[in-house]
Amino acid sequence: MTIIIKKKESLELLQGNEAIARGALEGGVRFCSGYPGNPSSEIIDTLAKAAHSLSIYVEWSVNEKVALEAATAASFAGLRSIVCMKQNGVNVVSDFLTNLTLSGTKGGIVLVSCDDPSGISSTNEEDARPFATLTDIPLLEPATPQEALEMTRWAVELSEEIQNVVMLRSVSRLSHTRSNVHMKNLPDFNTKACFDISTAFHTFPVVDKHKARDAKLVKASQIFEESPFNRYVGHSRPELLVITSGCASNYVVDAVGILGLKDRVGILKLGTTSPLPVKLLTRYLSTCNRILFAEEIDPFLEKEIKSLAGDLAKEIGLKEFMGKASGHIPSCGELSPGHLMEVLGNLFNISWKKDEYREKISGLIKDAIPPREFGFCPGCPHRGSYYAIKLALAWDNRQGFVSGDIGCYTLGIWPTGFNQVKSVHAMGSGLGLACGYGKLDQFGFDQPVITVCGDSTFYHSGLPAMVNATFNQADVLLLILDNSATAMTGFQPHPGCGKTAMGNVTDVVDMEGLCRSMGAEVMVADPYEMEKTAEIIYGLLQKRGQRVLILRRKCALVQGREGGFPYKVEIDQDLCLGEECGCNRYCTRIFRCSGLVWDNQVGKACIDKIICVGCGICVDICPQGAINKTIK
Amino acid sequence: MVSEKPEGQGCLINKVIANGLCVRCGACVGLCPYFNYYNGEVVVIDQCHSDNSRCLQLCPLAEYEATTPLYQTKVKEAPDIAIGTLHEIFLARARDRELRAKGQYGGAVSALLIYALENGLIKGAVMTDKGDDLAPKGMLVRNRDQVIACSGSRYSGSAALSELNMCLKTGMDQLGVVGLPCQMEALARMRRMIPNGVAISQRIALKIGLFCTWAIDYRGFSTLLNTRGIDIKAEGYDIPPPPADVFRVKNKTGHDDFSLSDIRPLIQKGCSLCQDMTAQWADISIGTAEEKPGWNTIIVRTSVGAEIIRKALADNFLERDHFSKKGLDHLNAAAANKRLKGIKAKRDLDRSHQ
Repeated sequence: MTIIIKKKESLELLQGNEAIARGALEGGVRFCSGYPGNPSSEIIDTLAKAAHSLSIYVEWSVNEKVALEAATAASFAGLRSIVCMKQNGVNVVSDFLTNLTLSGTKGGIVLVSCDDPSGISSTNEEDARPFATLTDIPLLEPATPQEALEMTRWAVELSEEIQNVVMLRSVSRLSHTRSNVHMKNLPDFNTKACFDISTAFHTFPVVDKHKARDAKLVKASQIFEESPFNRYVGHSRPELLVITSGCASNYVVDAVGILGLKDRVGILKLGTTSPLPVKLLTRYLSTCNRILFAEEIDPFLEKEIKSLAGDLAKEIGLKEFMGKASGHIPSCGELSPGHLMEVLGNLFNISWKKDEYREKISGLIKDAIPPREFGFCPGCPHRGSYYAIKLALAWDNRQGFVSGDIGCYTLGIWPTGFNQVKSVHAMGSGLGLACGYGKLDQFGFDQPVITVCGDSTFYHSGLPAMVNATFNQADVLLLILDNSATAMTGFQPHPGCGKTAMGNVTDVVDMEGLCRSMGAEVMVADPYEMEKTAEIIYGLLQKRGQRVLILRRKCALVQGREGGFPYKVEIDQDLCLGEECGCNRYCTRIFRCSGLVWDNQVGKACIDKIICVGCGICVDICPQGAINKTIK
Repeated sequence: MVSEKPEGQGCLINKVIANGLCVRCGACVGLCPYFNYYNGEVVVIDQCHSDNSRCLQLCPLAEYEATTPLYQTKVKEAPDIAIGTLHEIFLARARDRELRAKGQYGGAVSALLIYALENGLIKGAVMTDKGDDLAPKGMLVRNRDQVIACSGSRYSGSAALSELNMCLKTGMDQLGVVGLPCQMEALARMRRMIPNGVAISQRIALKIGLFCTWAIDYRGFSTLLNTRGIDIKAEGYDIPPPPADVFRVKNKTGHDDFSLSDIRPLIQKGCSLCQDMTAQWADISIGTAEEKPGWNTIIVRTSVGAEIIRKALADNFLERDHFSKKGLDHLNAAAANKRLKGIKAKRDLDRSHQ
């Protein structure tokens, strides 16, 4: 159960994403959808837990576009809705979004994008905010969990007022931070869903709809002029004006405070970042000639406000702008208070770095933090899958490689997956690329290509590429790494799981049946049986046409929760060859399961009993048979 | 190029594997997890980065100086000829008709192995099987039926020494090995292997070498057969004496002949460097007897070989005939020809690497 279902007003410790979920409920949202993706996943996860007690509907959709479409249906039927995704998801919805924003909406609908500066759990650090300007919809950027709640609540109302989608942009740091949040009473909404057949939602005539969309934006801009989410702190004539938004605004406040610049630096924190509140900006731009922008990922505000300043030049005069373009703020990566202290320290000639302190710290932590690399969990079936792929491609010996996709198994680009994966881009793209490789033989291409795709990814966007392979008779070998969950984002159910976001039992969408119906040869294997699986992969590599091998084994973390693993694994150090010819640390150097560790004192391998879960697959890779498993 | 340590696996990879010179003898396979033999190919699974790599010490192609004496044999009769040092040379065939029918030419290899196994001279022997869905590979045989199942020539590199390595790893001794000249050379190198080369070599009780002019790349051959619609699962192979100029693939219902000009492009590149036609490093070398169809040529090279041949003849397992001077000249000329070609090929390769 989740605290966000409390009907009455209270003060609670909430995660940013929980605050967004609560804000949606306080805003009367009844229909919630999304596709899992860090850092956004907890919003729908939290709402799903609230679904039955609050009689709302929550679903994990098959992909983000379908999620927005489903939520839009609720809006058209007069209900309030929210749709949640990570930044990459906004690309997926964009085709629908560009049209939906022309047709307009009815019930309030909020699109939440949780961006991931530094790409901490993403393939990129894309800034989704430009989609708001691209599609002419209002954009809100909360800076704290409290603001996340309030902005979400307000976004629903704003959407309903202007009859268009409102976008709310969070970032990892906000989505996953926790703080005390003041929750208000939950409203009682009993709107009956009904589509008014005297209305219609479409984009024609296009130019008229475009005009109408612009007018909605003008209205939003007027509303934003008075928004309490835009705040100024500082002297009325500061030496420097910092314009900031979202999480970055907290770093500015910290930096200004620590450096004692409160009387010299003014901070204009914008919460409504598109369309810009022009009058408000005119007012503050006029107070100071030196302006610094502090925002995360792209110079979004920076560009918009510089452009505006051009328009306002006569009124506000010549300005010196500093930000990403000038090199004062890093052009990529997540910001931190340290970044802001660096910039402000330099601008105001304040020395704040204490080298002595730094040296003391680095001296203390020198050996305490072991070097770490990305790695699959102990017991992860992907390790077995990639080991089998490695063997099969080596046996095949034709410079074969793997076209990768999005999920935990993206780690196949690194040593934990034996560096087998040679390209990774977007959901479902591994198979799309494979379709292309599968047609290159007429140009002399003779390397075998394996494409890997997770179960959830397969349903999300692997399917169209699979259809394409059959339609265009491309030679593809697809390995569906089926670990029975959307594992990387927190085990959300998908169409192959037989259960919905709300926990309801549903029909399983049969992966094998789907692939067979598309004409593919389909086989199933167990990634824990690495050598046998490698033999199957080798056999499939020698064939042509559309081939699908489903490597099925539960995510190790799910298995851990459902009773764990059967074995106790031990190493007989008398048998272990260690660094001698014949091994040279094959288990710890090549296989690299974190449960296998090197015993420096005796120069042999040993098991980390805390880390090892007891899957037992390493038994098969020791050339000496020194790794033994016994039933626990 | 992979990173290379002078005595390491990287050196073997760069010198042999990357240059396509591997002849699939299998000496490097089965020692460690870093090499595999699969369906006719020796492949690198990963780099071991060891300083001392046994694979490099064993590889007959990692150094090209096949003429360098690896160890001295006790020479009884040693004409300075290209077929190497020897005790004696004669013709022989199995007494057993089944062995003659199923073996290559006179079935002498099968007969000697069965004799050695049945009389406890060896506990097991490593041969090359006929292959199933995949290429032929090494197999440990312990009795007559298993020997017969592996009888006949394969004409492709099949890494049988990988099976020997597995047997040695499990502690077996008194082992027999049947192999090509390259494989006999690898076994000769084994005596110098660090560590324990001498002790490990002593667990090999009998080395029977096969005459060989070249072997073909199994995968290329399999592709050729597929394009002709022929099932790869052949019963046997043969190159009938000139002027036939064919490579014969025998199957259950008959045979298919391929022109040697179609087969030659499939010859393993490393075979061109080989200077040894008659398996000089074996205890006993056995091949065809061109002058007498249905018989084998036997070259006895060591006292171990002489002793087992003496017993097998005495116990009537083998039937013996005289090897003519003409036959010796002919064999020696063929061996000399291969040696010269090998020396030239090595020189060309060295030049191309300069």
